[in-house]
Amino acid sequence: MAQNDIVIGIAGSGGDGVVSAGEILINAAASDGLFTFMLKSFGPQIRGGESSVRARISQNPIATQGDRIDVLVVLSWKDYMRFRTEMDFRDNFVIVSDADDKFPEEDIPIDMSRVKAWYKIPFGEVAKNTAGSLLAKNIVMLGAVAKLFSLPSEALEQSIKKKFSKKKAEVLESNLTALHAGSDYIKDNFTKDDDISFSYEKGEPRLVMEGNEAIAFGALYSGIDYFAGYPITPSSEIMQWLAAEMPKYGGVFMQMEDELASINAIVGASFGGAKAMTATSGPGISLMNESIGLASMAELPIVVVNVQRVGPSTGIPTKTEQADLMQAIWGSHGDSPKVVIAPSDVEDCFDTTVLSFYIAEKYQIPVIILSDGFIGQRKESINPERFRSMKYGFKKVNKRLTPTAAQLKDFRRFKYTENGVSPVTWPGMEGGEYQAAGIEHDELGWPTSDVDIHEKMNVKRFAKHDRIKEEFEFVRTYGPDDATVGIIAWGSSKGAVKEAVQKANAEGHKVAAIIPQIIMPFLTKPFEKFLKTKKHIMVAEVAYAGPFRRYLRGFIRFGDYGIKITPYSVSGGAPFSVEQIYDKLMEICKEEGCSK
Amino acid sequence: METKQFTAKDYKSDLKPIWCPGCGDFGVLNSIYQALATLQVPPHKVAVVSGIGCSSRLPGYMNTYGFNSVHGRVLPVATGAKMANLDTTVIGVGGDGDGFSIGSGHIPHAARKNIDITYIVMNNSIYGLTKGQASPTSPLGLKTKTTMYGNVEAPINPVRMMISYNTSFVARAFSGYPKESAEIVARAIAHKGFSFVEFLSPCPTFMGREQFTMIREQASFIDDSHDPSDEVAAFDIANSEDQLKLGIIYHKNRPTYTDFVRQIQKEAKHGQVAPPVIELLKMFEP
Repeated sequence: MAQNDIVIGIAGSGGDGVVSAGEILINAAASDGLFTFMLKSFGPQIRGGESSVRARISQNPIATQGDRIDVLVVLSWKDYMRFRTEMDFRDNFVIVSDADDKFPEEDIPIDMSRVKAWYKIPFGEVAKNTAGSLLAKNIVMLGAVAKLFSLPSEALEQSIKKKFSKKKAEVLESNLTALHAGSDYIKDNFTKDDDISFSYEKGEPRLVMEGNEAIAFGALYSGIDYFAGYPITPSSEIMQWLAAEMPKYGGVFMQMEDELASINAIVGASFGGAKAMTATSGPGISLMNESIGLASMAELPIVVVNVQRVGPSTGIPTKTEQADLMQAIWGSHGDSPKVVIAPSDVEDCFDTTVLSFYIAEKYQIPVIILSDGFIGQRKESINPERFRSMKYGFKKVNKRLTPTAAQLKDFRRFKYTENGVSPVTWPGMEGGEYQAAGIEHDELGWPTSDVDIHEKMNVKRFAKHDRIKEEFEFVRTYGPDDATVGIIAWGSSKGAVKEAVQKANAEGHKVAAIIPQIIMPFLTKPFEKFLKTKKHIMVAEVAYAGPFRRYLRGFIRFGDYGIKITPYSVSGGAPFSVEQIYDKLMEICKEEGCSK
Repeated sequence: METKQFTAKDYKSDLKPIWCPGCGDFGVLNSIYQALATLQVPPHKVAVVSGIGCSSRLPGYMNTYGFNSVHGRVLPVATGAKMANLDTTVIGVGGDGDGFSIGSGHIPHAARKNIDITYIVMNNSIYGLTKGQASPTSPLGLKTKTTMYGNVEAPINPVRMMISYNTSFVARAFSGYPKESAEIVARAIAHKGFSFVEFLSPCPTFMGREQFTMIREQASFIDDSHDPSDEVAAFDIANSEDQLKLGIIYHKNRPTYTDFVRQIQKEAKHGQVAPPVIELLKMFEP
């Protein structure tokens, strides 16, 4: 049966070219105007081990990687075993595997009654005999899979041409040969005995981006002057992208000796008048917390990206989690105001980064972008118009408040103001000399231990939160306004929540969801509106101890609204599936009678 | 062109130092005022960055830009401040605890990157602000509040450490000799690259008045015959711990991080004007 939404899982060892095959496939689909979503998964050693990808291609917009795999491609069953718990299959799914794999079939942990067809192809042999290199076996595989399931074959050829355009002509030639050889092998040896066939209408090409790239792009777009960072999975792509691009725009990129150096260097650069950012994850963000507080205290704008991973400690570096929320909001000792912003997909990574620089510079406050491994390292097709129409990207707006000539005569760097923002200077500005400090200080910046001044300064520093709350209403909602059952989630959980709500709505269940993008300060207004009609709310998060639910309870007295809360907190490792959210939602619906 | 002549007092702020009477840091402060006046750097083009400790209060006593940051992070903060504006004269200051204990991990990296900043460590061999605990430069056997049975940990030899980290300028000064020290600091600031000054700065409160007397007895200026580019000779001076040699111990110019930044930017631009950032979306075409 023809379908216009397909999920293909590919597993193999590090050298099998699994990831690059997945990239070629989704690039081909995106250039034909399809929506794409690709998730990479690696073993714990990050480099050199087994890897898998899950590529979803669809005619219509998609928000997740798809719950169930239609086609499983296995380059090595031994490596597949590492990912078996991450892969669910639809009924009557199809397997395509390497005919030369010596792995005992009886040890394959798949219920074969659910498999409609199994095509065994000697990828390596075909590659060697036709392209002259074993390296091309992933391309042979792509040719075979495209032929079997009617995937965009012309676009695949273009995608391969683009990928190898900088290599020698022979390399490109041999890869194209491999692609055709894979297709021919199917034609010559098999008759199709499954019912999976992809069909679509060609459209305008889409761009393909990873969340980390979108953050780096957003930073450059915002006019970043200085980046200091330390490599850590899964955030390193941000620094790598900026390392290449920033110098072209007059920016300075530095790899530092550790995360302590990175955070303090960006605080120093901000003191020097630069728009500065760092990006990290896991242990790195724990190390940075002290000087995020320094930026709160010295009222210096910085942007800190935390691409969350499984913790605590080293945890699982390659897997995603949403458990750093409380640390972002309340981390750093003392009363340290900061802004926490959470992107919910790849496009969001761009918007929220530009917004973060805007807020940081305008309010002289540290902004933490809470992304995660799920968003950071996945590839999604994006809508370039959203980037072009960015509202907060204007450098004119994105500028610090500096003192007037009159204000410089009696310059008070930390002057009490109603909105908490006072004019700032930096080295090079004559007459604006002052001392920035992590120690409590008076309006002039001189150290003090006076408790009244400390109180006044807290009022000033926290006044920024109130203004930010007034200026922005950054939430996303799905489903009808009058739904009685709702979901509150944040960050990367949005995808599964959105698709689950859409599915439930299509089936006639009245449910709705709200996803805040500015997490701190808490945006009261949009929540008040959302809560008004609700009787029962599920709080969904990929964090075992339920930090998001506990945070919400700090701002919303659910009891006052007569709202019942159902927590849905799961351990990190994998993002929510649509089914998980949908099933839980249906349990609540049954209880509340929200279904027609 | 700057027409105004700056004198030492142009760099002095209205804030009164909190240091104890007889503290060596007064001499350090005066040396810095004098060095800046010698070099005629306008106060608004100077940023003095410190960490935490008695000596780290110093930026507040300067009429320049200052940043009293957090414990141990003088060098990264100073590095960021320098990179934000390559024309700024950035001076990092702090104590031996701030620099050689909590902050020591940053030193080799500032040195190997050859960041064009000056780092002055006021060494008194004791934690003064926290009232008298052992520091990484406390001598063996010293009794302090945390070494009641005598210090058993071998002290760091700052000059030797800095030379071995390939610091491009290493000097030692003593707050008892403000005039000569001001010259040493001026040379350090004028040096292109990472310059380090171990500033012997006694703490009469927790190390007693005899610390000052002892340093004056042991300290002497380096002979003119010393060639600071001779690394072996520099190590010899560093190793003779019983005769504290003052002056420029090691000095060898090499390209600075500022040079690298300019070189990388030039190479990246490839003689072309970069397109508007939004045009880079092309990179993500499938």
